[in-house]
Parts: sequence; C-alpha cells; structure tokens
Amino acid sequence: MTKPVNPQKLDGHASSGHDVPKISLRNLSVTYPSGDGTPVKVVQDVSLDVSPGQFVSIVGPSGCGKSTLLRVLSGLLEPASGTALVDGNPVTHAKDRVGFMFQRDTLLPWASAEENILVGAELARIPPQYIAERVKSLIGFLRLAGFEKNLPHQLSGGMRQRVALGRLLAYEPEIFLMDEPFGALDSQTKSAMGRELLRIWTEHRRSVLFVTHDIEEAVTLSDRVVVLSARPGRVKLDVNVDFERPRDPKVLRKDIRFIEMVDRIWSALDLQPI
Amino acid sequence: MLGQFAVDPIWISRPSLIAERLWSLTLEGELWRNTQRTLVEASLGLALAFTVGVPIGIAMARYKYANAVAEPFIMSLYSLPRVALAPLFIIWFGIDLFSKVMMAFSTVLFIFMLNVHEGLKTMDRDLIDLFRTMRASRAYMTRKVLLPWIVPWIIASLRIGVGLSLVGAVVGELLGASAGLGWYIEKSAGRLDTTGVFVGLVMLTVLATIGNILVARLEARFSGWRP
Repeated sequence: MTKPVNPQKLDGHASSGHDVPKISLRNLSVTYPSGDGTPVKVVQDVSLDVSPGQFVSIVGPSGCGKSTLLRVLSGLLEPASGTALVDGNPVTHAKDRVGFMFQRDTLLPWASAEENILVGAELARIPPQYIAERVKSLIGFLRLAGFEKNLPHQLSGGMRQRVALGRLLAYEPEIFLMDEPFGALDSQTKSAMGRELLRIWTEHRRSVLFVTHDIEEAVTLSDRVVVLSARPGRVKLDVNVDFERPRDPKVLRKDIRFIEMVDRIWSALDLQPI
Repeated sequence: MLGQFAVDPIWISRPSLIAERLWSLTLEGELWRNTQRTLVEASLGLALAFTVGVPIGIAMARYKYANAVAEPFIMSLYSLPRVALAPLFIIWFGIDLFSKVMMAFSTVLFIFMLNVHEGLKTMDRDLIDLFRTMRASRAYMTRKVLLPWIVPWIIASLRIGVGLSLVGAVVGELLGASAGLGWYIEKSAGRLDTTGVFVGLVMLTVLATIGNILVARLEARFSGWRP
C-alpha cells in the first residue's frame, strides 16, 4: 500500500496560492447542434472549483454532459456561455499542461508501447537527451517492462490503458482530465487501475477531474464527488469524501459511512426508468 | 495439348507457339523493347498519380467547403470513361511516351484522391482530439498521425493502381503508338497473328504479377499494425 502523504510537502504548486482554484468553471453552459439544427443544451449553469491537488469525480446519468465539461476544460469545445479557467486564465491561454485520458485508449495503432509513451514526452517538450530515460522509467513504473516493443493490438485492455496513462504522465500535466478512463475494463482490472492511479496521484498530487458512472469507484478515489442532473446537466450534489488516505478499497467497502455515502449519491442521481 | 485437338490454333494459338515466339522476340530484343515501354508508361503514370493524388486527397479532407463545391465535378470526371480521353490525349500529347503516361495517370489519379480522402474521413476523431489537448502542432500531427494513418489507404490504392495504370498505358498504345505491349497486340491482331496477341497478354500478366508482388511486400512492411 502507499505511504501516507503530506500534501504541503509534495505539492510544489500549493504555495502558489490556495486561494486560486486550479480549475474553475463559472456559470458554464454548453449547447450542441442537434439533428434538426436546433441547439440542445447539454450543460446548464455549472459552477465548480477544483483546488490544487484535489481529486474530484463527476458522476451523473448518461448524456448529462460530464464529458462535455472535460472537453471544455481541455479547450476542445467552446462553451455557449460562462467561463472555464485554469489557474485563473482562460483555458485557451492556460500556461499549465492539461492531460486528457479517454475511455478508449486512443493509442497510435502502428506505434509500440514505448513509442506511444514517447509522444507525451515529446509534446511536453522535454529536452531530447532526457526523453529516453523518462520513457524507460515510466515503463518500469507502470509495470510494462518486456512489452515496450508490442503494438497496441498485441496488448490487453488493461495494458493499453497503462500505456495511455504512461503517455499522459510523460506529458507531465498539471491537471488530469479523465473521461471514464477505466470504464471499458473488467472489474478486477478496473480496481487495479484505480489503485495505480491513486499511487500516481499520491506521488504527484495533481488536480484530477475524473468522470465516471461507477459511484463506488468515485467515492473510493476522490476527495469530492459532484453529481450532475440529467440533461441539461446542473450540479445537483457536491459531497466531500473525507475518508482518510491511504484507502483500502476492501476495508472501505464495508465501512457504514462509505455505504451511506454511496447510497446518498445513488438517490441524488435521478435515474429515469428506461 | 488439349487445345491442339479441341480448338483450332488460329483462335487461341498454342502454348508451344507462344513459347517459341517469346524466345525469338527475346533474341531480337523486341520483347524487352515493348515490355519496357509499357512498364515505363504505366509506372510513370502511377508515380505521377500518387504524387498528385495524395496531396489532393488530403486537401479534399482538410478543406471541407471547397471540397463540397468541387466534389460533383470530381465525381463526374471520375465517372467519365477515361478510355474515351485517349484520342484527345494523342492529339494533345503526341503518339509517344507522354500521351500514354497521361492515360495511365488519368486512370489512376482518382483512385489515390478518393481513397486518401475516404481514409482521412474515417480517421479516429478521439486520436486527433487527444493530440489537440496536448497542443500538438499541425506539423507534428501530420507526421505522427495523419501520414501513418493513410499509409494503408495508399497501399490499397497502389494495389488497384497497378492494374489500372496498365489499362491506361495499353489503351493509349492500342490507339496510336510505335512500341509497347498494347501496340504489339494491336499489330498482331491486325495480321490475325493470335500467337502475337497471346505473347502480349502473357507479358502484361507478368508485369501485373510483379506489380502485385511489390505491393504485397509494401503491405507486409507498412500495414502490419492492422490487427
């Protein structure tokens, strides 16, 4: 298990101002053009702050705009109204690197595990002489040794996501935006990847915005869980998860406070009968 | 030698006659002269079509509005039987090598354009988005994502292009030439020399087969990542 961590000691950015949130969404609304041309509001008036080093999960019924929020924050999508700030700057002018991870591994299919991780290091503009070393250490860290030369289709789903995680880490982002990154994995691999992510997070203490539809996963991993309503998504519930870290999912699952919290989030998700 | 008994050699010749002719033509140097001519015409046409077609295909994918305007014209040109252009090309480009290169080129060009365009249309959006979130430059994305992505589509175009470039060259030669396998076939047919016609066909088959082997090699080398 991971060692307990003192956030002040590890997070070099904490000193740069606890007052300025790392991520700040202000009255954000996003519309998409629908099939017949009329715009559909996916996200409505969402305000949300994530402090430096905080791990926040977003849950909500499908189509409520969870992923949309991440796409706005990464600069892929323009909001209809409201602002999205990173470190107080508009996302398009953000100094910080924002790392994105999709549910699909989105690896270059013709490139080996190693070459895929290399992409992150190159785009992070790591000086060339350090790149090889950096890639090598990530391969070791993510337990991919022996598979560096394999192409994505020669790897299992969990390993592909570890490669994608390696690429993300090689990019050295200040902010992790994760869009159901383990959603396509079987439950054992999923919980292993969750532990992996916590291990990384404990070490680097970056701000994480984690979209999932697995409530237990959200509660196990996060400092905070934000529940969005059905489309158009609004913040419906914002829960602080104050279980002490490091957390052992096996113990946590049986904790009555954990069960109650999961239950509270479940009931906040107004799931429509299908 | 079933053909000897069943069918008159005047119609389909005879393997032994074809072999004899191949040998005598080889000694005269005529076989190589004609084969080489067709080979040069077809491969120059193919190379030119690749050089022009791939960038146009990329541009068609990149400039969607321009493409929406141009596409009906492109498609009507594509649907035009290029064979019908041969007389015009002979008038424009003469009866030598160049008109046949242009025939081969015009036959294959659209294959590259449309395949590359189609390949880019089916490109993985998430992959592009991911690179955009990492603020990859356009040059980096072209080098790392776009070009590798279209390689299998280019190889597929080459596969079709090998045969089509030969069609273009041979049609040009049938209409007016002084060398080439199409010219040799046409000349032999005019004299009811079936053996000569078959010699031409055999050599065209040889060229096509070699072309296909080369493409298969390329495919093994560059498309191995496809699961």
